[in-house]
Amino acid sequence: MSRSALEGVMVISLGTGAVVPDAGKILGELGANVIKIESSEHQDFVRTLSVKKNDVAGFNETNRNKRSFGVDLRTEKGKDLVRRLIKMSDVVAENFRGGVVKSLGFDYESVRKLKPDIVYISSQGFGRGGPHADYPAYGPMLASASGMLSLWKQPEDPFPAGSNSPLPDFMASKFAVIAILAALDYKRRTGKGQFIDMAQTEVAAALMGERYLEYTMNKQVPQPLGNRCSYAAPHGCYPCQGIDNWVAISVFTNEEWRSFGKAIGDPAWTKDHKFAYMPGRLKNADELDKRIAEWTATRVAKEVMDMLQGAGVAAGVVQRAPDTMSDPQIAFDKALIELDHSVVGKRLYPNIPFHMSETPPAPSRTAPLLGQHTEEICRELLKMSEGEIEKLKTEKVLESAE
Amino acid sequence: MVTKEREGALTGYRVLDLTDSRGAYCTKLLADMGADVIKIEPPQGDQGRNVPPFFHNEPHPEKSFYFLYRNANKRGITLNLESDEGKDILKKLAKSADVLVENFGPGYMENLGLGYEMLKGINPKLIMAGITEFGLDGPYRNYKGSNIVDFALSGVMITSGYNSKVPTLLPGTPAYDATSVAADIEILAALYCRDAIGKGQRIDVSVHETARHGLYPWSVTIYSYSLTPGGPLPMPEGRLGAQIYPVYPCKDGFVRVIAITPRNWQALVRVLGSPDVLLLPDWENFIYRVGNADDLYALVIEFTTKFTQIELWEAGFREGVPIAPIYDIPTFVNSADATARQFFIEVDHPVTGKGQYPGSPYKWTESPPSVRRAAPCLGQHNEEIYCGELNITKDDLIALRYAGVL
Repeated sequence: MSRSALEGVMVISLGTGAVVPDAGKILGELGANVIKIESSEHQDFVRTLSVKKNDVAGFNETNRNKRSFGVDLRTEKGKDLVRRLIKMSDVVAENFRGGVVKSLGFDYESVRKLKPDIVYISSQGFGRGGPHADYPAYGPMLASASGMLSLWKQPEDPFPAGSNSPLPDFMASKFAVIAILAALDYKRRTGKGQFIDMAQTEVAAALMGERYLEYTMNKQVPQPLGNRCSYAAPHGCYPCQGIDNWVAISVFTNEEWRSFGKAIGDPAWTKDHKFAYMPGRLKNADELDKRIAEWTATRVAKEVMDMLQGAGVAAGVVQRAPDTMSDPQIAFDKALIELDHSVVGKRLYPNIPFHMSETPPAPSRTAPLLGQHTEEICRELLKMSEGEIEKLKTEKVLESAE
Repeated sequence: MVTKEREGALTGYRVLDLTDSRGAYCTKLLADMGADVIKIEPPQGDQGRNVPPFFHNEPHPEKSFYFLYRNANKRGITLNLESDEGKDILKKLAKSADVLVENFGPGYMENLGLGYEMLKGINPKLIMAGITEFGLDGPYRNYKGSNIVDFALSGVMITSGYNSKVPTLLPGTPAYDATSVAADIEILAALYCRDAIGKGQRIDVSVHETARHGLYPWSVTIYSYSLTPGGPLPMPEGRLGAQIYPVYPCKDGFVRVIAITPRNWQALVRVLGSPDVLLLPDWENFIYRVGNADDLYALVIEFTTKFTQIELWEAGFREGVPIAPIYDIPTFVNSADATARQFFIEVDHPVTGKGQYPGSPYKWTESPPSVRRAAPCLGQHNEEIYCGELNITKDDLIALRYAGVL
């Protein structure tokens, strides 16, 4: 009989936005018992991005595989219940605005008095110690302040535009999970918990460390490369049939270049000697890109991808959601899953991508409604009577889903 | 070499690293946390040693910044896995290893006789992670990936850059790094439960499947939520970075503004001195602002250009709207935050000398991660590991080197 990897691990999520909620989702995917602390008065701001708090795509994606405990943390009785939950927990993760957990009495120094071996992670924009320790931690700000954004543009763009995705948030969440798991294992072996203070700007920088060495060791200001690569051409994103459809193509060897020419029917320009070797292709990259764009422009992106891949050349559709939904490999991998959420109904989500032979993850569970598991947690973990639960609900200390 | 550092959280674990540049980040993060990572390269060296940028822009196998950064903290040996002696040596190393990570592609290790079933027989506690581009099986099994192609397929690229222009690659190797961190998560979860279940396990990670989970898990879900039965198809997903998180020029550069809620917007108006043109009630609606982003942009820059980056950054914090400067890399390296946290760490490498490397993105109170040693030169630890641990004599080392095994 198989069990999950994190069976028996309990996590309290004092999270909002993307980073800590996404980290909780992943710990839940691996089998941890993750409890999100929230209330109508103190909502995860992603719940407020739509008129209906339980019907927000981003929230319901990122908050799967956890339960919601609706409790007003401004009340002393509410704090007491959360303190009791923390005493049973292995991990506390928080990314409230700088200083908020301290004012609520749930900072590391307070929590370790309740549970000395707790693994506590605080995810902040700039981290403790510097002048911006209390500044809010929205991914697009941290991409900006870390230098990441300055390179995320075409060389001729006057300034970077970034992306719809609030990166580095979704990578910071994985760094948080890595730290939590390594710290849990350290605690398993030594009995010691600890405090982990993460800076999301540093996550952005850590992802492209080699570019920082260009400055610290070569004394050069790193420049954006756009879609180009200094050792491969063609290497870019080319327009295809339809509106705003694109395919990415990269050629790293002369053999791949000859295969590329053959695949597209050996037009005369692909035989031009100046394109035969990599230095010539790099030197003439502008002309090369123009020629390829003329060829791709009348073709369907997916057909270009399959045709080139069939010839051994790396190519891929610049996917938007419907392309992902019709991607045969994604279907083969069951990489998307339909889940039936009690308010929203059946919707598609990315499936759990973990393939572990001995501890295969259990199926994904939908995100909780605000306060959906309040009573269940009161009974199961806090061993409270129905009377006590009702009383605290009447006093607005506890909150259940309507 | 500084050795006074405290132990890392993973000190005591040994990792055999058979990856090239695509998986180097996975094992680097384990090494940063204290694991003894042994990078095993073919005798001619990992192809990752040829990846630019280079120290002093000199292409040289010990001077690739990409290699130096992503292989710091590891020890390095050479081994030809395709030779009979090489296979035997790998099996010996596997006996005492906790983790093995490879990214050769489907079936390669099995064809060498070094698949998980074989290695599990030698060491049942081994955790073996295989990273592939498009999975072990399926219609794209033999497709080729690359940095830009994998990013294109991840669903983030279509949303990156200017709406009217070409989708733009994120710097670095984002799809590979998203895969590396997913592999780390699985490896650490497998280590955590290994004693409880009494055995190691096999982990399979595909770049194509994992990159969207790592970089932008919302794309399909947002689309799925906007579909109504029998209703019109939603607008195709575009590049909205400049509309959602606009970038404005100021006195000394650019700032980025994240005004999503009405309160954020009201705070931004105060930061800019409450000019009449921005007080029209329509502007309080986020959707209206995104829809009229060009008009709004023209109005707002008149006011942002009166302030410096730091004035706007600090005023945004005071008033309640997230604003951040767009810094280049030198400005971040020299920033008060990075300096106060000692994020950059001095590392001494035998060929490139001392340099300031980005450290780990967090401070830990008990078992801090760190950069404890430089990336290995090719075969730097052959004698240390082969003679010191596997009891191969120095004469045999010489013979095996000449035979192309090491």
